[in-house]
Amino acid sequence: MAVTKKTNKQLVLDGLLSENPIFRLALSMCPAVGISSSVMNGILLGIAVLFVQVFSSCTISLLKDYIHPRIRIPTYTLVIATWVTVIDLVLAAYVPVAYKAMGIFVKLIVAFAIITMRLEVFACKNPVVPSFWDGVGMGTGFMFGMVTLGTVREFLGTGGLLGHDLIGTRPLLFFILPLAGFFCVGFIMAIFNYVEIVYKRMKRKRSIAQ
Amino acid sequence: MKQIIRITIGLVISCLVAGAVMGGVFTVTDKAKKRNEHLAVQETMLGLLGYKDAKQVPADLKLYSIYRYIITDGSGSQYLGYLVPVAEGNETGYVLLKLDLQGKFISKKNIDISPEKAREAPERESALKAVLKPPISFRYADEAIVATLGKKRLAYLLPGEFLGFKTTIKAMLALDPSFGIVGLDILEHEEDPGLGGEIEQEYFKNQFKDKSYDRITKLKVIKEPLPDEYKKYLEKSKWQKGAFSKEQIATIRKKYQDKDIYAITGATISSKAVTDGVKGMIRKFAYRMGKLEAVIVNEKIPAVFL
Amino acid sequence: MKDSARHLLMGAALVLLVVLAGCRTEHRFVKKVTFEKTNDIVITFAGPVDAAWAKNVDNYTVFEKEDPDILLAIKEITLTPDRTKVTLHFKNALNQSRAHTLMIKDIISEGKSQGAAVLTVKKLYLGYLFSILIGAMLIHNFVFTKYLGLCVFFGTSQKRTTAVGMGITFTIVIVFASMLSWFMYQFILKPIRLDYLQVVVFIGLVSLSVQAVDTILRKVNPALFKAFGVYLVLVIANCIILATPLILADKEYNAWESFMLSLGAGTGFLIALFLMSCVREKLELANVPPTYRGLPIAFIVAGLFALAFLGFSGMAIF
Repeated sequence: MAVTKKTNKQLVLDGLLSENPIFRLALSMCPAVGISSSVMNGILLGIAVLFVQVFSSCTISLLKDYIHPRIRIPTYTLVIATWVTVIDLVLAAYVPVAYKAMGIFVKLIVAFAIITMRLEVFACKNPVVPSFWDGVGMGTGFMFGMVTLGTVREFLGTGGLLGHDLIGTRPLLFFILPLAGFFCVGFIMAIFNYVEIVYKRMKRKRSIAQ
Repeated sequence: MKQIIRITIGLVISCLVAGAVMGGVFTVTDKAKKRNEHLAVQETMLGLLGYKDAKQVPADLKLYSIYRYIITDGSGSQYLGYLVPVAEGNETGYVLLKLDLQGKFISKKNIDISPEKAREAPERESALKAVLKPPISFRYADEAIVATLGKKRLAYLLPGEFLGFKTTIKAMLALDPSFGIVGLDILEHEEDPGLGGEIEQEYFKNQFKDKSYDRITKLKVIKEPLPDEYKKYLEKSKWQKGAFSKEQIATIRKKYQDKDIYAITGATISSKAVTDGVKGMIRKFAYRMGKLEAVIVNEKIPAVFL
Repeated sequence: MKDSARHLLMGAALVLLVVLAGCRTEHRFVKKVTFEKTNDIVITFAGPVDAAWAKNVDNYTVFEKEDPDILLAIKEITLTPDRTKVTLHFKNALNQSRAHTLMIKDIISEGKSQGAAVLTVKKLYLGYLFSILIGAMLIHNFVFTKYLGLCVFFGTSQKRTTAVGMGITFTIVIVFASMLSWFMYQFILKPIRLDYLQVVVFIGLVSLSVQAVDTILRKVNPALFKAFGVYLVLVIANCIILATPLILADKEYNAWESFMLSLGAGTGFLIALFLMSCVREKLELANVPPTYRGLPIAFIVAGLFALAFLGFSGMAIF
């Protein structure tokens, strides 16, 4: 078994930046485009994903010795679907307004490739504690991506954040149209790529100089 | 073979555990969900009546629901069945008033159900089934809420839905006893944000306020820019203290009271859909309430809102 | 391939039969009742009717089926010269999306009574089904207006052949899976009030139908399986396949409507994939700045497509 050697802090940071599920791994794009039009949506869906990821990771890593390898994938799906149903029921009961804004996406967490992927590559090989931190990292990474998108779109679209008016005008109404999500994700991915290119160039220069 | 049995048993156990977890969460959250939904509806209603938060609500404000059913008897002819709250001593009970399609009184039956239980559709259905036995069948049509303040009838609240530009729009209307509009709230819609989605903004929905019943029957949508002072007046939640004096409010209100509805820029169809929907809702309700009220008075039904 | 074409034809014929059966009116002397313009209802009789009878407003009672107590006021009645077609002009515009009931008192034709009639006026059901299909395909396209299934969409739209293969496989599986889930929801989950198990049951059924299509295709047509088998694994990672049963359950569609919606969702995905792959094949040759190469430019192209699809919004067919 390939037990991870990374520290817990590293696991979280990986999920946030170098393995960010939205901008780097390009998984679970649907909510990133569909409902990232406000910061609040991003935070709430982020919490839901964090919850599902952490609980599924822990469950699988606890049960990993009892799961027969041939029914691995169905078991993952069952575990994820159970936790998704739980969070779906809880959100529908206690935050009905926000739940309505997120619509079908809460239920669709079950189809997010990111969660199954983390279970397959990490949780089923590692003990509970690293799996927990890996789940936290991926969940917060997703939330970070959603909040970034939400901030850009809400500020440009409505001139405010979290529903509070900041500058009094609406700079670019276009950005709260749902389809602007495509453009936003494209631009932010390009920025990530640019940073990577510049970083590599600097590294190369430094190695030549040495 | 042994392996397969192990796998099957493992899967069955995990399914059972998962089912138990979900069932447990469901039983816990179901009650909370219903309560919160009820509270949200109540808040919308009180907001429409002008009470911003729960503290302002007077103690003798009461909300009573009237449920309308369509009853079909064995020969296929249809009747209207109104489930009307009545005073029984200090308690509130319900009677079923059966009216023919022209609004003539047919019969009256006591229904054994409390107002709390009447909120739940399945409970009402089973209570009605005890009175309306096959071959008589019935189906639920709509609900109207009467708000009373002390002995006085304050307003009617109508939940309803109509077709918008894209899909149906759900709305709630508050009417005064003579069917003029007190307020309009858009509850659910799927119009485009920034365009048709603006129907939920105050500067659109507050335009319906203060229109009298006669004015509503002839209400139209006009494609003119919304005057600045009127827009400021409509956006009540953005008012700063002392922005408008009492006289100013009265003059603006009088000036625009008889105006048609100013269309939202870029969303004339959505604006028209809301206007027509509201008109239709009020026309039907006023007609039915007139008939029902006549029956209640003639038959001396001790309805709670009289 | 020939076999599947025949099956398709048979299916279409069956749909037509059902619709035609729905078209017949409930009275032997009345051939047809239809909505016309915004305010009119046209009644076509089997023979010439008495002019004086036909023009009497009191002979007609019209109301929306849901609101039997509110009668709609007729402003004027016109009759064609051959006296077989009566047009009722109403005072207010009719809400044509709802079914109306039309009651006619004692029809008099050539001095003879033909009896009273109770008729239902509604839009053609086929038109409604077709509008659901087109709606799911273009107006509410799942990729460009609902933003679902994007992972698979960006993953398999690099080459045109892949795109078409994926699209076709997906359409077959989604129709199969949706119908299965619709049946399960309407006849098992809903009656015993277990609808909160939606997510678990639907995802299970989707996996099951992927497996079923896999097995059937492998046995029945190995050549086809060779071409499309690789995409079957990807189908399950596409959230449209889970979203469709959830939407069906939410909207309480019947079997035909569910079939049309899932077919529309599948073909809509196929269209989106095909369009996107055409552009991306060209993009390979274009000089894209290095920071935008790969996914970023694909996202921006998809955004442009979504803008174009916004033009369909609010379109009403039939």
